[in-house]
Amino acid sequence: MIKVIISTMILQMKQSFARPMFRFCLIANPILNTILLYEMFRESGATNYMAYVTLGAGLMGLWGCICFSSAGDINRERFSGTLALIFTAPARFPIIILGKIIGNTIMSLLTMIISLMTSVIFFRIQLQLADPLYFLIALLAAIISFIVISSVIACILTLSRKTELYMNCIEIPIILLCGFAFPVSVLPFGIRIVSYTLAPTYAVELMRMAVWGITDKAEFCEKLLVLMILTLIYALISAFLYKKIDRSVRIAATLEVA
Amino acid sequence: MIKRFLDQAYLYHKGRSVAFEAEEFVLMEITYPLITMILYCLVATFSFKTTDLTCWVIGNAFLLCTNACIFGVGIMFVKERQYGRMRSIIAAPCSKLSLILASGVFPTLFAVCASVCGLVVGCLVFGVTFSGVNLLLVALTIIVAMISATFFGLFISAFGLMNDSMHLVLNVVSYLLMIFTGAEFPIKQLPVAGQVMAQIMPLTKAILAMNRLFEGNIKDFIVLIIAEFVTGIVYLLLTFVVFRVAERVAQRNGKFDMF
Repeated sequence: MIKVIISTMILQMKQSFARPMFRFCLIANPILNTILLYEMFRESGATNYMAYVTLGAGLMGLWGCICFSSAGDINRERFSGTLALIFTAPARFPIIILGKIIGNTIMSLLTMIISLMTSVIFFRIQLQLADPLYFLIALLAAIISFIVISSVIACILTLSRKTELYMNCIEIPIILLCGFAFPVSVLPFGIRIVSYTLAPTYAVELMRMAVWGITDKAEFCEKLLVLMILTLIYALISAFLYKKIDRSVRIAATLEVA
Repeated sequence: MIKRFLDQAYLYHKGRSVAFEAEEFVLMEITYPLITMILYCLVATFSFKTTDLTCWVIGNAFLLCTNACIFGVGIMFVKERQYGRMRSIIAAPCSKLSLILASGVFPTLFAVCASVCGLVVGCLVFGVTFSGVNLLLVALTIIVAMISATFFGLFISAFGLMNDSMHLVLNVVSYLLMIFTGAEFPIKQLPVAGQVMAQIMPLTKAILAMNRLFEGNIKDFIVLIIAEFVTGIVYLLLTFVVFRVAERVAQRNGKFDMF
């Protein structure tokens, strides 16, 4: 199983990087987002640009890569005529998809580095990371949560041939609801409730806490626990969806045309 | 001739939208851009620490045209290649200008609708008020801005004859519009080269004109709106020039693609 995941990861990384759109999401998107957010926050009086500009742009890039690659891979397999093959392969479809998603997510982490480099090179923003260890813990939890979310999205989009439309339509709402570029407290109360059902909201808050410095370790642990519980729930949903979709696809036999 | 023009316009629109249900098309052309507008207005609320979001609502309402005018029109020649019409277009003895213009008709209409929706949402969600503002001049600004943005989209689309990475190009262009048109932050924050670039971009002058209109400065408004229209015309002429060059090279080399 691990061999399948690793070989799929490597293949996926090569295939993704060959696509101009993925190169945009991976390289150009974090640079342009950093420039845009820096100019928007320049007059804000903020002293630590890491929290909203660098981290915000990096996360927006990371999420963009997930939307336009992990979510769209099913459709690409469909167009290539290989979807039915990987669906029925003895290696199991969820394992192959997991390998693809892990490959994409690991490569997408480059957006965080590019965003950081853009901040330092173009705007001379100082790297202010108060608690690197906590940041690493938050980042790891965020990566796991993004991988699980991608698998849920990939599962749902297996049934649709309008993947291009939907993957375009999930990018901005999540950035908005999860507070990638501003605190969730800016949102109205009703929308904030939706935000707190989404795992990335906690992931972003944890990373931001680590950037500023942890003053309340109990609060950090509490948010980390909620993030892990939500991630687990998403994983269960993904497994349930896969079983449902697998059955429905085998009965209808319309996987290649959805 | 007018019928053929309208037929071509409708056919292009049909090609773009036929795969979607009506509600999905509205989601793509209007709802999703509106969510983008709300996102950047919220970022502005937090970063500029202001509750008066008039500038950002105006700027982002104009940028709502990006989906229709940049992504819709910009992909025109790539789509023609996919549909298999490129051969007919290059070889046909008819005027290519009307064909290029026809493809911009429906995206312009959708862009106008999206911008109007943007302003309405701005009123309802962010409390922007139109009291004392001449609504006819608002309509004129939106129409001129959308025509200019569509011509810019057509200009970008002509590069689709020369490269196969138009999604990358169009996404970069959409960000350049956000950075250089003054929709998200004042242009004067940019370095001198950036400010020059801003003047070349479409929508910059229309956004400024609309802001002047809200301030009641009609004299500056007229100058800016004429400048925006001229910018659009320049982009249309440039589109035609780029297309002619591409067409000549394609006919001489016997290739329908230049890459």
